[in-house]
Amino acid sequence: MQPTTKHRQSLSVWSAGLLLFAASSAIAASPEHQERHFTVQGHPVVVLQNVVNGRIEVKSWKNSEIVVSSTAAKDKVAIDMEQVGDRIDIAATSTVASGQPHEVEANFQLTVPEHTELQLKTQTGLIYVEQVTGDMKLESIAGDVHLKEVSGYIIVKTTGGSFVCTLCSGKLEFTSVSGNAQLLQPSFTNVNLMTTSGNILYDGDFSRTGIYTMKSGKGLVEVRFSGNDSFDLQAKTYSGVVDNQAAQFMQPEQHTSRHGNRFTRVLNRTVGLGFAKVEISTYSGTIRILKRD
Amino acid sequence: MHCKELESVLEAEGLGQLPKDARLHLATCGACQGLLADLNAIASAAKTIPAEMNPPERIWISLRAQLEAEGVIKEPVEAAEHSSWWQSFTALLRRRAFATASAGVVVVVLAVAVFVARIPHTPQAGAANNQPVTESPRAVPTQVVASVPSPTAPVVSLPSKGSAPSKVKELAPSPSESASFTLNQAELDVPNMQLAGNSQVDLALRQNLRTLNAFIAECELRLKENPQDELAREYLYTAYQQKADLLAAMMESGRGDN
Repeated sequence: MQPTTKHRQSLSVWSAGLLLFAASSAIAASPEHQERHFTVQGHPVVVLQNVVNGRIEVKSWKNSEIVVSSTAAKDKVAIDMEQVGDRIDIAATSTVASGQPHEVEANFQLTVPEHTELQLKTQTGLIYVEQVTGDMKLESIAGDVHLKEVSGYIIVKTTGGSFVCTLCSGKLEFTSVSGNAQLLQPSFTNVNLMTTSGNILYDGDFSRTGIYTMKSGKGLVEVRFSGNDSFDLQAKTYSGVVDNQAAQFMQPEQHTSRHGNRFTRVLNRTVGLGFAKVEISTYSGTIRILKRD
Repeated sequence: MHCKELESVLEAEGLGQLPKDARLHLATCGACQGLLADLNAIASAAKTIPAEMNPPERIWISLRAQLEAEGVIKEPVEAAEHSSWWQSFTALLRRRAFATASAGVVVVVLAVAVFVARIPHTPQAGAANNQPVTESPRAVPTQVVASVPSPTAPVVSLPSKGSAPSKVKELAPSPSESASFTLNQAELDVPNMQLAGNSQVDLALRQNLRTLNAFIAECELRLKENPQDELAREYLYTAYQQKADLLAAMMESGRGDN
């Protein structure tokens, strides 16, 4: 049967309608870019609570101004920004009443003065901070946290996200359930790392007055120290293995009487004059000690 | 010059060369001579103390407890700084109306602290366990350092408001069992939470909860066999803390609002 003219007209109207609907849906779902500028003085504080998913990237510059660029679906995410003095509060929340609010995404790019204190929280998506020297508290559930050339009192907390810190200094606290931690070329004076099932890698020097604690329940803890280092080492494990591949660079520890007991295997050693204090422990994971070439 | 003025001079000038007036007064005043002798003794003693000396943790705990008991500080200092597991835990309890369990939780907190403090350090019993500490590549003799019995940790007394510090009761309840029970009660709500199901976050939360539960079970079993294993206890309490944080995070993120 041949379609009549009336049928053709009807089909055209429906097609046009469908196209319009698809176009409008695409426009509504397309992410909206937003940029705000905040003038600050002294030591600014940025608090970002990303209740939805998304990436947060922070870089520094010399200007006394904070620039917040965000990208999010306009009809699904509400982004609120507020400045009180030198404090900037940013919150991204889902406006989706039902369904899957946690699939909603908001990405942020912040440019801040070097001495900015950061408090960033997200669900998934990378937190990346580069060349910021203020204290920071970074929290993520499933997202990774990467820091590069940052310093200050740094607190990182993840549930499953991993943590990589390159050329960082100051004091560090890291806790995670299953996330890994990698400290590459660090200059920290105080380090406290704890993960239940993740791995820990410390590849770098120990500050002479530093205190370093690294614990993993079931993961591998690997320490690669340099020939110039000077520290007292205590490595202890319940059922794991202490694999000391740098025994020839160590002496029995001389400074304190930290010992194990019948439940724990303990290795006490001194490198150099034993200035820093390095404590490594696992429950069932392996502890590996190496000297870098 | 009078005694009060001499004190002011000492306060301002220190113990170095004193002005003539002060010296004249000092020559005739026995009380001020005694004061100066005391100050010199303190200064000498201070010089013998190492520059870096950290007091034991128990000092801070006792000090904090005392200050809290006297109302000088309203909340634990540590809790203000970091979100401790009890902070998360109490938030969790608030949200989930575990009001009846709250009192029990407080008891558990104290019991944990007390229990840890009163664990006698076990005398060493030779080399440890089944797996060796391996050192390579040189022939430095493998050595598991013999442990030495350390002095029993002093009992930390946590004075309550308006009461004199008292000694800890010998028969404290098992803190790990109580904490485990309370956390498991909180976890009972998790299956009923409205989870997205396919999201990366929910998957991560659930997987990590399973990881923690498995690890907690392992540590609890270990402690049941060897109640004096401090390393297992340390890891167990850290796992409890992480589980409390995790449950609080799950509820905070709106999953518990069903």
